[in-house]
Amino acid sequence: MSGLRDRMNRLRGEQAGKTAEDAAAEWLTNEAENVQGELEAAEQAEEWISPVWDRFGVKLHTNETGSFLLRRIEYPADYRHGQHAINELHLASSGLNAFHARNHDTFAEQVLFLDLETTGLGVGAGNVPFMIGIGYITQERFTIEQALIRHPAEERAMLAYLAEKLPQYTYLATYNGRTFDWPLVQNRFIMNGLGRKLWEPLHIDFLHPARSVWRNTLVSCRLSHVEEERLGIQREDDVPGSLAPQLYFQFLADGNPAPLEGVFRHNETDMLSLACLAIRFGHLLNGNLVDYIPLPEEPEEMVRTGLWLEKMGKTNLSEPLFEMAARSETAGPSTLVMLAARDKKAGNWARAVLLWQKAVIRTSPNFGAAAMEASVELAMYYEHKLKDFESALGHAGTAFEQALNQSMLVRRDAKKRAELDSLRNRIARLRRKAGMQTL
Amino acid sequence: MNRFTGKTSGLEEWLQQVRQNADIMDNVTHWRTLAPREARTAPLPEGLHHAWKEALRSRGISELYTHQAEAYRAARDGHHVVAVTPTASGKTLCYNLPVMQSLLENEEGRALYLFPTKALSQDQVAELQALADLMDVGIKTHTYDGDTPPTVRTAIRNAGHIVVTNPDMLHSAILPHHTKWVKLFENIKFIVIDEVHAYRGVFGSHVANVVRRLKRICRFYGSNPQFICASATIDNPQEHAERLIGEKVRLVDNNGAPMGEKHFVFYNPPVVNKQLGIRRSSVLETRKLAGLLLNQGVQTIVFARSRVRVELLLTYLQELIRDKLNDKSIRGYRGGYLPKLRREIERGLRSGEIRGVVSTNALELGIDIGQLQACVLNGYPGTIASTWQQSGRAGRRQESSITFMVASSNPLDQYMIQNPDFFFNRPPERALIHPDNLLVLIDHVKCAAYELPFEAGEQFGEEKLEDMMEFLVEEKVLHKSGGRWYWMEQSFPAHNISLRTAAQENFVIIDNTNGSRVLGEVDRFSAPTLIHEEAIYIHEGVQYQVEKLDYPEKKAYVREVSVDYYTDANLAVELKVLHVDKERESGELVRQFGELTVNAKPTIFKKIKLRTHENIGSGPIHLPEEELHTSGYWFSFSEDAAARKSKNEMQFALLGIANVLVHIAPLYLMCDPFDIRVVPQVKAVHTKKPTIYFYDRYPGGIGLSERLFEVHDELINQAKSLIRSCTCLSGCPACVGPIEEVGLLGKQQALELLNEAGGAR
Repeated sequence: MSGLRDRMNRLRGEQAGKTAEDAAAEWLTNEAENVQGELEAAEQAEEWISPVWDRFGVKLHTNETGSFLLRRIEYPADYRHGQHAINELHLASSGLNAFHARNHDTFAEQVLFLDLETTGLGVGAGNVPFMIGIGYITQERFTIEQALIRHPAEERAMLAYLAEKLPQYTYLATYNGRTFDWPLVQNRFIMNGLGRKLWEPLHIDFLHPARSVWRNTLVSCRLSHVEEERLGIQREDDVPGSLAPQLYFQFLADGNPAPLEGVFRHNETDMLSLACLAIRFGHLLNGNLVDYIPLPEEPEEMVRTGLWLEKMGKTNLSEPLFEMAARSETAGPSTLVMLAARDKKAGNWARAVLLWQKAVIRTSPNFGAAAMEASVELAMYYEHKLKDFESALGHAGTAFEQALNQSMLVRRDAKKRAELDSLRNRIARLRRKAGMQTL
Repeated sequence: MNRFTGKTSGLEEWLQQVRQNADIMDNVTHWRTLAPREARTAPLPEGLHHAWKEALRSRGISELYTHQAEAYRAARDGHHVVAVTPTASGKTLCYNLPVMQSLLENEEGRALYLFPTKALSQDQVAELQALADLMDVGIKTHTYDGDTPPTVRTAIRNAGHIVVTNPDMLHSAILPHHTKWVKLFENIKFIVIDEVHAYRGVFGSHVANVVRRLKRICRFYGSNPQFICASATIDNPQEHAERLIGEKVRLVDNNGAPMGEKHFVFYNPPVVNKQLGIRRSSVLETRKLAGLLLNQGVQTIVFARSRVRVELLLTYLQELIRDKLNDKSIRGYRGGYLPKLRREIERGLRSGEIRGVVSTNALELGIDIGQLQACVLNGYPGTIASTWQQSGRAGRRQESSITFMVASSNPLDQYMIQNPDFFFNRPPERALIHPDNLLVLIDHVKCAAYELPFEAGEQFGEEKLEDMMEFLVEEKVLHKSGGRWYWMEQSFPAHNISLRTAAQENFVIIDNTNGSRVLGEVDRFSAPTLIHEEAIYIHEGVQYQVEKLDYPEKKAYVREVSVDYYTDANLAVELKVLHVDKERESGELVRQFGELTVNAKPTIFKKIKLRTHENIGSGPIHLPEEELHTSGYWFSFSEDAAARKSKNEMQFALLGIANVLVHIAPLYLMCDPFDIRVVPQVKAVHTKKPTIYFYDRYPGGIGLSERLFEVHDELINQAKSLIRSCTCLSGCPACVGPIEEVGLLGKQQALELLNEAGGAR
């Protein structure tokens, strides 16, 4: 074996010779391995687990396939996490129906929350979830179960446990689970020979609505940021999720459970926040804005919330939000243009024109992409709808100036040039139509 | 001949004219006419699905060539197959025939096709899909590569019967995500690897390991696919395919495709300076010949060895015919062109609208451009195999065709042009790979562990699995538990491993004179001596000074200057033989093969005045020493031989021999000239004798110098005959090197010494 290492070192052009330091390090590693070996031997002998686990409620769980560690936490239904009490989920869940057009109502008991802690990024075959967190609610309580494998060989037993739980639920609720957690679980089922289609849930991934609503109003749509800014949740001494793999590798190397407590707690908070997001979006879809959740402060968020509700088939709920944003004095040009685009599509020309005009007025002199877009839209509106070519020409002229001013500040790329060219064409055409001489 | 246009009525008549044209014939060193070959056919095999039969018939295929029939039979009998076929002999049917048949019998079946480039994949998919549509069956063929839009990827994974991809994509996207490809891997019946000869050297060694991983994944899903490979004519197709896929294969090489009469003409540009052995530019001579052909309306392909030459020749040729043909009828073709443009050119060539094309070896591979009438090679393409491939682009089934090979002054070209028998009588080169090169192997063991945990008792390559596993556990990327080794690392190993390493290692030269632009590239091994700081770098005749060399980032920043000197760097190369694996004696000469380390460190550079060659200054070079641990072969001359020459004479003789050997070594290898290095030493540390070393320029070696060790005698003979037959007086760049380098008697010294080095006297 050391032969292979020496050869690798030579090929890589590294020093082959062992220094005293290396020797010492090696001795330490060997020593650690011996201790680890003894620990493992002891564990295997009578499934002994370190008493440290007990400190944070971790128990050994054994099933037909093998064993792994399990931590179960129960919260009373009226437990408050940030703005919401967990049992609001019973009230809000019917709103979640909108995610999957189904005839019957969604009950909170049908929803399984899922969040993984993994050894790496991406959904490749070598990324292993070392911890699987699931959560579910009954009338009395909200339960979180967190399974942890002490080494990769325990994965099968953990997955078998999960596979048994899954079919009891209809909905799967995650944050970014559509592209990460769920495909990864499916990977693991396949890799462990547990079959391909064990459960086909109706999946609700809250990352998607979160992005739709908060894309521009929040700095980031990471769960930890969303919960702090919008769900009133403060985490204390949280271990960031990105550290989890390293802590786990450390545990694999030295067998000391203590640092993993932080990972359990982090995952636990994630599960609670996930439930609160379900409550939040459920309320929203049920039209319970104001009653249970505060109105968005920023017009941008109002419009985005309205657009999302409209997309989810709740047009009646979105109109009041749109109206409020349209009347708001603080709505910025880009918000106004965004809403105007929606109105244009919906045929509400009257408000669209108003919004475009506001967007132009509210823009600092001659600068801003939104203002230019609004001017172009106005030019189109006057040209095609009203056939008022002179007014159209006026707006097109404004747009051209704005575009020119912009490209002085922004690098003139191909897109900007195309924009200017098409404006030039528009102006030329309008001049013709208005009976003027082209320049 | 048409009296008005001056055009001959056909290629035959034109050839008659050429034979009487002293201007050309004086430079023709050899004219070989290869007799036409009749087609050898076999009936369509029995039991062929009727829809498939109909589809073939509608394509005008009512019988098969013998090699197609044999490949089909071998595949149906369950053998792994390698089919060896020259250009345009209906190669694709060798694998499409059994694959389609199998899919028609069982539509749950799947097949994976691997091509070395994207362009080839797209060609294939078009052809396969056209066939499936013709049969009106739901067989779906898709390419899966970097250009495949994410939206259709899922559909391809689940529903593609034939998935066409390249080894890089298999390595970095498909295998690490095999769980998304369950349908494919559970039902895979065939793996088709086309152009296997392209998988050689380091790249081939990587690909062989990707195939090991592929087989491992197939086993996991309970499938055991059959391999069908296709190769151009090389010396060792069967051995090569077997090493690449790690299975016994059945060789099919009885080519039954017909061929028209073929003229192969060796053309050596005239000597313009006898003393220095300088010949007229091969580019200009190529222009002349290609121009003659194009003016006759002969559809012609010109191959050039570099992109720059392609562009140069294209410009020349477009000028030549400016008044006669429309300006779209002569085109260039090379790697940098966009796919859409390339497709357009390929179509134009097939339809005959494009009359001439100038290409790099990009058109050497099996892209469908139809068959042309004439081929002009600007320089020897580097290997016999490539030469036949390129020449194969000309030659229609019923008509004559012609290939001109225009030699450059490079020694290898000169050797070939003066030794036609060597070219015509020798089997082409061997494709060499070394899948068990430890560095390559370990890289792929990591990827394989990521894809699926290793179990005790598994085998991956020749190295003992337990040793590799233990090593990787120590490296903290694997974790052992329950008799298995699991990937336990955050990274995604395939991302850090490129199958085509060499290309990535180039240094980019950036000119900061006016703004910044990329001037060119220098390979990693030349960088320390060519673009160290303060070096004068000459590009297209313009001098640039290197202002900064960012070694880790592989960038050199230069600025245009005008000075009256050039720079020459000293590279201290130290060779240390670690261990001798093989030894052979022939007469007084001992040759050995084994492992060695090479330490190269640039020390100082000298400023040398132009014209007078005075040394006008020097400076140190601060660059890290590079260490390479690799395999090598070396031979030493006896002490007697050493005693017969002064140290200086010996120096010149060895240098001369090394110069020749480095150029003719590729005669026996399919490799890039950069893959192998030759170093002469007057008194080597290891042998204490005058010694010439060869070594592989890749850590761990890839089998090149081992092969040279085997063919030593032949190598020496070729070197002798090259030096003897060179027309220069006392050394020139085409043989031992210019007299400035090897002295006035260099040629003679080298020859004398070579006579002691074995081979025939």
